[in-house]
Amino acid sequence: MRHRALCAVTVAVSTVWGAATVAGQAPAAPAAAPKPAPAPRTPWGHPDLQGTWDYRTITPLERPREFGTREFYTDEEVKTLESRAGRRMDGPPEEIRPGLTHAQYWTDPGRFVADGRRTSLVVDPPDGRIPGLTAEGKARVARQPNRAGTVNASWLDRGNQERCITYGLPSASLPTLYNNNIQIVQSPDSVVIVHEMIHEARVVPLDNRPRLADGVRGWIGSSRGWWDGDTLVVETTNFSGQNNYRGSTTGLHLTERYTRVGQDRIEMRLTVKDPTTWEKPWTVLLPMRPTEGELIEYACHEGNLSMVNLLEVARDAEKAAEGGAPAAVPAAR
Amino acid sequence: MGTARIAVATLLVVVGLAAPGLRAHHSFAAEFDANKPVTLKGTVTKMEWINPHTWIHLDVKNPDGTVTKWMIEGGTPNTLVRRGFTKSSLLPGTEITIEGFQAKNGANRANGADMVLPDGRRLFMGSSGTGAPKDPEAAR
Repeated sequence: MRHRALCAVTVAVSTVWGAATVAGQAPAAPAAAPKPAPAPRTPWGHPDLQGTWDYRTITPLERPREFGTREFYTDEEVKTLESRAGRRMDGPPEEIRPGLTHAQYWTDPGRFVADGRRTSLVVDPPDGRIPGLTAEGKARVARQPNRAGTVNASWLDRGNQERCITYGLPSASLPTLYNNNIQIVQSPDSVVIVHEMIHEARVVPLDNRPRLADGVRGWIGSSRGWWDGDTLVVETTNFSGQNNYRGSTTGLHLTERYTRVGQDRIEMRLTVKDPTTWEKPWTVLLPMRPTEGELIEYACHEGNLSMVNLLEVARDAEKAAEGGAPAAVPAAR
Repeated sequence: MGTARIAVATLLVVVGLAAPGLRAHHSFAAEFDANKPVTLKGTVTKMEWINPHTWIHLDVKNPDGTVTKWMIEGGTPNTLVRRGFTKSSLLPGTEITIEGFQAKNGANRANGADMVLPDGRRLFMGSSGTGAPKDPEAAR
C-alpha cells in the first residue's frame, strides 16, 4: 500500500515537473488561435464516427415543470446539480425506498449535465416535453396491463428486457439506469451501431436499398442509413409492435442524426414520430463523449440470475400465503 | 424559485422512476426486502463479472463455526470499475464485509449496498482511489 502511494506521488510530481519544463521551452504564443484539427475521415472518405461513446447525463429527458419555459440552467444550478451527482456517485448509498425499481446505488447516470446546459434532452417541442397523446394513443395506453401487483407467475409477466429479448428502440439509444454506451463501426456500405443495453447490434445499410415491405417487421424495426453532408442519418421503421415504446406501436418512425462535433464529441439528434400515438413528432439532442473503456459483453440470458431469483421469491410467497412452509431455503449456487 | 428544489426535482426525474419505459425493469422489490438489512463478513470464493449485475460469492463464517454460502448482487462491471473496483479487487480469498438487503424469501442472497475492503476502504466513500475527478470541469 505504501509502495503504491509512493509511486502515485512520484508520477504526479514528474507530470507537473514535465509540464513546467515544456512550458518553459514553448515559444511565445502565436497571435492567432491554432486551427482546429480536421474532422477525422475513414480511409474511404466518410466522416469517422467510430468508437465507443458514453451518453450518460444528469439532464432529464423532459424539462421538469418547475422550469416552465426556461430552456437553460444557470451556472449556479449546474454547479449544484453536478456536485450533488458527484456526491451520489462517490458517496455512501442512499436508503432503499418502497416501490424502488432498482437499487439506486448501482445506477450510473454520470455526473454532468449535457453540453449546452439545456434543462431537458427534448429540444422540440420548445417546452422541452414530449407532446401529448392522441385519443388513440391514450386508449392504447389505458389498455396496457398494469404490472403493479403482478404475481410473476412466469417470465411472461416480466418485460422484454428482463426476458433478455430486447431493450427496444429508441430506449437503447437514450440514457437509462446504466450501460449508457454505444459502439459505432463503419464500412463503406454499412454502419453498425452496437448498443450495450442489452446486446443489440443494428446493421444499417448505406447502399440505398429500399425499406422492407410493409408486412415484414421486427422487434426493433428495420434501419436504413445515408450521409447528409457530414451527418449520418439512420431511419428506422417497420416496428412489429411487440416492444411498445411509451405506448407507441407499429407506426413508430425514428430518425437519428449523428454528427461528430469535436475530437471527443458526437451529437445525436433523434426525432420520434408516430401520428397514431403523439400529437406531433418530438426531437431529442444527446451529446456523447468517448467511453472510459470498452463496452462490456451483456450476456443477458446467460447471466439472468435475477429472473430465476424473482420467480423463486414469488413461488415461496405463494406457498407461504397458502399456509404451507416454503421449500427448504436453497443454498446459494 | 429555490435552486435546491429545482435540483431535487431534476435529480428525481433523471433517475427516471416515473418514466413509463422503466416500469418493467428489474424490480428490487420483486427480489429483495428493504426491511431485511444484513451485514455479511466473509471470504470471497468467486466473483462473477456479469453485465448488468455482478455477483460476489461469499463464505460467511457463523458464530458457531459453520460456514454459510451467500451470493451478493452488485452493479454493472463498468459501474463497479468507476467506483474503484478492479478485477483484482475481489480475488478469491479476499476477506470483506458487505452490507446489503436480503432476498425476500430468506434465501442466502442479498443486494449489495456497501462494502469494506481489507485495507479499510469503503467502496462508496469517495476521494482517492475511485478515479473521481477532483475538478469536474477537467473531465467535461
